[in-house]
Amino acid sequence: MSMAQVCCDSAVTAAPVAGPEAEARARARAERRRRAAEAGRWKHAAAAGTAAADATRKRSLEAGELLVARKHGAASVAGRRREMEDAVSVRESFAAEGDADGGGRRDFYGVFDGHGCSHVAEACRDRMHDLLAEELAAADGSGSAATWTAAMERSFARMDAEAMSAGGSAACRCDPHKCDHVGSTAVVAVVEERRVVVANCGDSRALLCRGGGAPPLPLSSDHKPDRPDELERIEAAGGRVIFWEGARVLGVLAMSRAIGDGYLKPYVSSVPEVTVTDRADADECLILASDGLWDVVSNEAACEVARACLRRGRARWCAEAAALLTKLALARRSSDNVSVVVVDLRRRDH
Amino acid sequence: MDQQGAGGDVEVPAGLGLTAAEYEQLRPTVDAHHRYAVGEGQCSSLLAQRIHAPPAAVWAIVRRFDCPQVYKHFIRSCAVRPDPDAGDALRPGRLREVCVISGLPASTSTERLDHLDDAARVFGFSITGGEHRLRNYRSVTTVSELAGPGICTVVLESYAVDVPDGNTEDDTRLFADTVIRLNLQKLKSVAEASTSSSAPPPPSE
Repeated sequence: MSMAQVCCDSAVTAAPVAGPEAEARARARAERRRRAAEAGRWKHAAAAGTAAADATRKRSLEAGELLVARKHGAASVAGRRREMEDAVSVRESFAAEGDADGGGRRDFYGVFDGHGCSHVAEACRDRMHDLLAEELAAADGSGSAATWTAAMERSFARMDAEAMSAGGSAACRCDPHKCDHVGSTAVVAVVEERRVVVANCGDSRALLCRGGGAPPLPLSSDHKPDRPDELERIEAAGGRVIFWEGARVLGVLAMSRAIGDGYLKPYVSSVPEVTVTDRADADECLILASDGLWDVVSNEAACEVARACLRRGRARWCAEAAALLTKLALARRSSDNVSVVVVDLRRRDH
Repeated sequence: MDQQGAGGDVEVPAGLGLTAAEYEQLRPTVDAHHRYAVGEGQCSSLLAQRIHAPPAAVWAIVRRFDCPQVYKHFIRSCAVRPDPDAGDALRPGRLREVCVISGLPASTSTERLDHLDDAARVFGFSITGGEHRLRNYRSVTTVSELAGPGICTVVLESYAVDVPDGNTEDDTRLFADTVIRLNLQKLKSVAEASTSSSAPPPPSE
């Protein structure tokens, strides 16, 4: 079958897992979950022949979800975790491009890895793009990096406030106003004609696969509590980071920034780090994923998998790449939910 | 625990948040229920929470060994193991299996009910298993009434636990105290909310 063949291809090209730290982290978590039930039985169904060419399609399968479109693909699976707390958002043409840049398309992509419960990640999926569209509409039309940073910071702050004032959703039945210990990462990308803007809060990640043999370019930096500048910020605020199954704020939370988690404010901040990156003609794709992927797959390996799918020349290669990366994370015994979005950045003339 | 001086002024343990007069009233309870013989490689701590609700209302929440999620954070579910001899009675020896929410350095905890004294309002449990790093954890919670103007209940919770390899006493206390402090704050809000909602409105003139 085609996926098996792609798996074999990637097995040849995939690099080993990133660094001793991620490996130790993955191993520690795998050890804890060893007795857990088998990993989610996520499978990629054969494409339905009758589907419209450009239509975005979402397929729900037993333990995972696959979103297939021409210019992007997204895959999510609960994996070895007890429940699914990740959420993915894909919003094409979610906001008009600013006047200074002329008419053009802006597409929104987001990966949100929840903890404590799923409702904060779900709120981010449902609302973050709307909040950002509002902030962009209110911003000056210059499209400068400073304008983007301000718009992203305001969107994240508003999302954080919404997450902390709302109760649980109907599905999770958390008591309203007693969900202080629920939160989510948020890695968000806006793809414009000329640039990619990324805002990140937490330990999900955005990666740009440049072509022409260039190494992958991280567009975000993971917010781990022992990152030197994060450790400094937390301690200056009166908090502490201790190593309790990894570095944790007050020994409790393994990331230093998140949407929600009111009980750990101000140590766990919702201020995103924003990057604005010019697109290049040789760019291949953008990958957004939760740490369920990055803990067991290096940046280089992820780009190799995506590149292998690209070279096969299929129309839906982004969805294939997303699905394959998810399967690779499960095969490497990731102990977490895994969510992956792959966006085709090649110019339209391809 | 700090040793108290034999005479003279009462020294209130640091960070407890109680006045000397309050601590003096509580001292018999502390001496009776919150002292531990802590050996090498262990640590202990005592925390306090003032609650403006009748002690009976607070105790009714604290004593629920079967339903700790009413006032404890981080619990996804809790099931008391069936005991054919005990039926539904909560008595020392009962075990509960707690599942913890995601994102924390723990996933399950098996806990044993050690004390349940309704007359003295003393509740004690220990952790006997599960996936976490708190070995030989034992805890006591007491509910006391403070004399003085207005209703004031003070909940004291103390514990002793092993210091895990690779961590310090300070690390261990910080982690455990953080969780307990959050739980006591929730207990306060739950107890005060239930009391205020059940109280009849004051008669109008």
